[in-house]
Amino acid sequence: MPPTPQKKSELLKGTLDMLILRTLTVKPMHGYAIAQHIERLSRDVLAVEQGSLYPALERLQKQGWVTSRWGDSPTGRRARYYTITASGRRKLGEEISSFQRVLLGIKGVMRRRA
Amino acid sequence: MSWLHSIRHRLRVFLHPADFQRELDEETRFHLDLESMQQEHAAQGGLTPAEARYAARRRYGNVTSLHEETRRMSGLGFFDLLRQDLRFAVKSFLRTPGFTAVAVLTLAIGIGANTAIFSAVNALLLRPLPYPEPDRLMKLSLSSPASAHGPAETDRVWSYPKFAVFRDAQTVFEDLSLWMDFQLTVTSEGEAERVRLEFVGARYLPTLGVRPALGRNFLPEEDLHGGGPKVVILGDAFWQRRFSADPAVLGRTLSVSGDQYTIVGVLPPGFSGLSGRAELMIPIMSQPAEEINQAWSHSYYAVGRLRRGVSPAQAVLEAQLLGGRVAAAYPHPETRGEVWGATARLLDATRVDPLVRRSLLVLLGAVGLVLLIACANVANLFLVRAAGRRREIAVRLAVGAGRGRLVRQLLTESLLLSAVGGAASLLLAWWGVTLLSTINPVNALRAQRLEGLGAVSFSSIHLDAAAFSFAALMTLVTGLVFGLIPALKATHPALTAELKEGTAPEPRTGSFRGLSSRNVLAAGEIALALVLLAGSGLMIRSLGKLLRIDPGFRTDKVLTLWLNAPPDYGRDSLPGFYDVMLDRLRGIPGVTGAALGDCPPLNGGCNVTGMYFRDRPPAAPGTSPDIGMHWITPEWNQVIGVPLVRGRMLNGSDRRGNRKAVLVSETAARKFWPGEEALGRPVGLGQGGFSEDTAYVVGIVGDVRFGTLDAPPMPEAYVSIYQSPRGRMMVFLRTSGDPVAAAGAARRVLREFAPGVPVYDIRTLESRAGDAMSHARFSAILLALFAIVALALATLGTYGVISFGVAQRTREIGIRVALGAGRGDVIRMIVGQGIRIAAAGAAIGLVAALLATGVMRSLLYGVAPSDPVTFAAIVALIGLAATLASWIPARRAARLDPVETLREG
Repeated sequence: MPPTPQKKSELLKGTLDMLILRTLTVKPMHGYAIAQHIERLSRDVLAVEQGSLYPALERLQKQGWVTSRWGDSPTGRRARYYTITASGRRKLGEEISSFQRVLLGIKGVMRRRA
Repeated sequence: MSWLHSIRHRLRVFLHPADFQRELDEETRFHLDLESMQQEHAAQGGLTPAEARYAARRRYGNVTSLHEETRRMSGLGFFDLLRQDLRFAVKSFLRTPGFTAVAVLTLAIGIGANTAIFSAVNALLLRPLPYPEPDRLMKLSLSSPASAHGPAETDRVWSYPKFAVFRDAQTVFEDLSLWMDFQLTVTSEGEAERVRLEFVGARYLPTLGVRPALGRNFLPEEDLHGGGPKVVILGDAFWQRRFSADPAVLGRTLSVSGDQYTIVGVLPPGFSGLSGRAELMIPIMSQPAEEINQAWSHSYYAVGRLRRGVSPAQAVLEAQLLGGRVAAAYPHPETRGEVWGATARLLDATRVDPLVRRSLLVLLGAVGLVLLIACANVANLFLVRAAGRRREIAVRLAVGAGRGRLVRQLLTESLLLSAVGGAASLLLAWWGVTLLSTINPVNALRAQRLEGLGAVSFSSIHLDAAAFSFAALMTLVTGLVFGLIPALKATHPALTAELKEGTAPEPRTGSFRGLSSRNVLAAGEIALALVLLAGSGLMIRSLGKLLRIDPGFRTDKVLTLWLNAPPDYGRDSLPGFYDVMLDRLRGIPGVTGAALGDCPPLNGGCNVTGMYFRDRPPAAPGTSPDIGMHWITPEWNQVIGVPLVRGRMLNGSDRRGNRKAVLVSETAARKFWPGEEALGRPVGLGQGGFSEDTAYVVGIVGDVRFGTLDAPPMPEAYVSIYQSPRGRMMVFLRTSGDPVAAAGAARRVLREFAPGVPVYDIRTLESRAGDAMSHARFSAILLALFAIVALALATLGTYGVISFGVAQRTREIGIRVALGAGRGDVIRMIVGQGIRIAAAGAAIGLVAALLATGVMRSLLYGVAPSDPVTFAAIVALIGLAATLASWIPARRAARLDPVETLREG
């Protein structure tokens, strides 16, 4: 049985949240800018559907890690800008350290195999 | 502060769902615009704008499903799904109106009956008393040890001197006061009217936390000693009725039983004292000092408000302690060696008689069972319905609808159904509550000699927020209970097997005999119905036994009314007054006899006094036996049909100046002169001038039950009012036709003859006697009603299961008939199935009923909770119902044409 689409996004959810939070530490951005930023930095490794950013942003707002406000973009068009909150930064810190722990673990295993 | 951001965000989303959608659209548009520009730019002219737009969309993903996901993330998706499910549910219910109607009606009955009974339980048992901080209010009582006169008592009334000792020594109460329920005649401002009032202390209202709405409370100087100022506080209803709510009423006088009382205040609306029916409040101290200062004349209740921080337990301890001090201050006058004490209990705990409490709880349990049966029935209907939808559900499961999603949708259906049923139930509950609150609690309680503040509570039975919440909760719970089982079962993964067959699969024949959930539910319903039938059967048997008790008099065709002789008639002129009055009453067409008595039978609270034997050595103080003492005119026994056993009745020669004559009841004769002749014995009675003189027993009459029907007859003595005049008497009129028809004439005759004499409480003796059983009758009728509903539902449930089984087995039955099974065989097979379900249910029900009816012991008269006759009868009834329920589908099955069914199959 092939994995259902939900399962895949389940896998990505945590990672995507972390990437968004990390991106927003640079400065407040609108959704498109966040997508661009993630794509550029991850060198398209994470070929995320751009649209899946928005459910994730909604989830982060619901948790209170991100807030949003409508403002004018450089082109003069109205856009929704997202800002990371203090608790969002705390959350990001936790995510990064646990991510690093996992990464270290994986590295260790890989090295032994090699 | 993540939760703050979070809450702000959620609020925004939920309060402006339309904005949410609009903003989401705008944001998406913005994103796609930028991305298509980007795509166009990257391709350096290699893409048309339309192609760029297409590329951007591909890059973005499925807009619709992403939007949906975002909405789901936000929580709004819940409502989307709910709307979808509701629409689906409504459609599917409208497709099956019969099913829907039966289910809604069943639920409405179940929930409505529960809400109605809950309202009564809430008003009588749960809701706090309608006074500020009611948990600080306590009832104080005297207690007496067991003696030759009777068992120990812990709830006796007070005399003022004893109370004063207690009050002055106590430290736990902030305020405490005496009060007493009474009746007097108001003559000023309109017709003479008998009104209920309370004699109270000046601290009564402050103790309860009630302030007069107008004017003032009684002053301390109005509460000092007997013979104090005559002042009165009016009840709100009385003020409205007699004074048209005139605010200038303060300072005016009210004539009460010949005395002028100055009006000093008006009570707030809805407050009528702890008796629940007082129209006036008068200071205890307005009575003559000699009445108040008798330490051994007990007639007052006492209520106290605890000091803040003092626990009820401390008050109980102090009451015990002070009880000793009261006893030391006022030792028993006849030195019986009895030492009385004092007790305190929470006022709230005394408000309903234990018997009423118990029967209410039994009723609550009974309606609970009805609701369970209703749930089982609807669950059964749902199971049948789900079976019909197997294919639909299987298809939906197969195309990827999650099981959770389907369960949710089925639950939405059941909750919707229960919500409609719950709404309909309010109508039923409203009707039931109206019925309950019209019970005349005063009569019912007095007739049963029930203690407690029932009057306060009964009048407050209504559908309130608590009842509505209860109904809503019941609705939710029932929806979940009857919905969850079918929902889980219907979506069971094994059902995907449905799809493998082209047609609905042959039902597993085994399931018919085995424990399919439908059979279990039907058996459960029968078990529950049996418990209810057992309870109501016992109550009905008990009521039947009560009705068969001979009260000792004839209740039919007798009209009764109370009257108070005018205060200006002295003892000497009263007999003449009564003679003329009775003669006038006998002149009313249709009246065949008229008599006076001081206390109606089956009423309770009649006079009891000591009995003395003049031909025996004087009894040790305090050991003379108790006897009921009644004042009558000579025709009384004849008018209400009390037979003479031996000797003679009282007659016109038993007047003042002649030898005093006494009639005694058979029980008195047997008890006081066992094996001897009672006639001619010289005796004395404790009251009415019979304690000093010697009277002689002239006749022995049949026993009359003056208290309750189920209490055995007491020894009674009757004396003539012509030898011991009394002012407050009941008139008994025997009529040839309907006694009510004579009421108007009697009232007219009395008004003409004695204009200032209040006449009140005109009723037939039959209705007075009926009061004595109103409580037992009430419980029996309600329980019977519940049991009938339960039996009907259980029968319906069994019928549903059997007829569904028949419908599913049409082919099998066709084959059987084709192979030579006779109609009788088919009927026997199917009815046997019904009987088996009933037998299983009855077996469980019998055990449960035997356990459950034990709690009814105190409510039953002359019937054991395990009465074999009752149990045999209800088992037979259940068997009959089950046979009927399965016989109808069985006959239908037997008429099946085998050729037809096989061809269809």
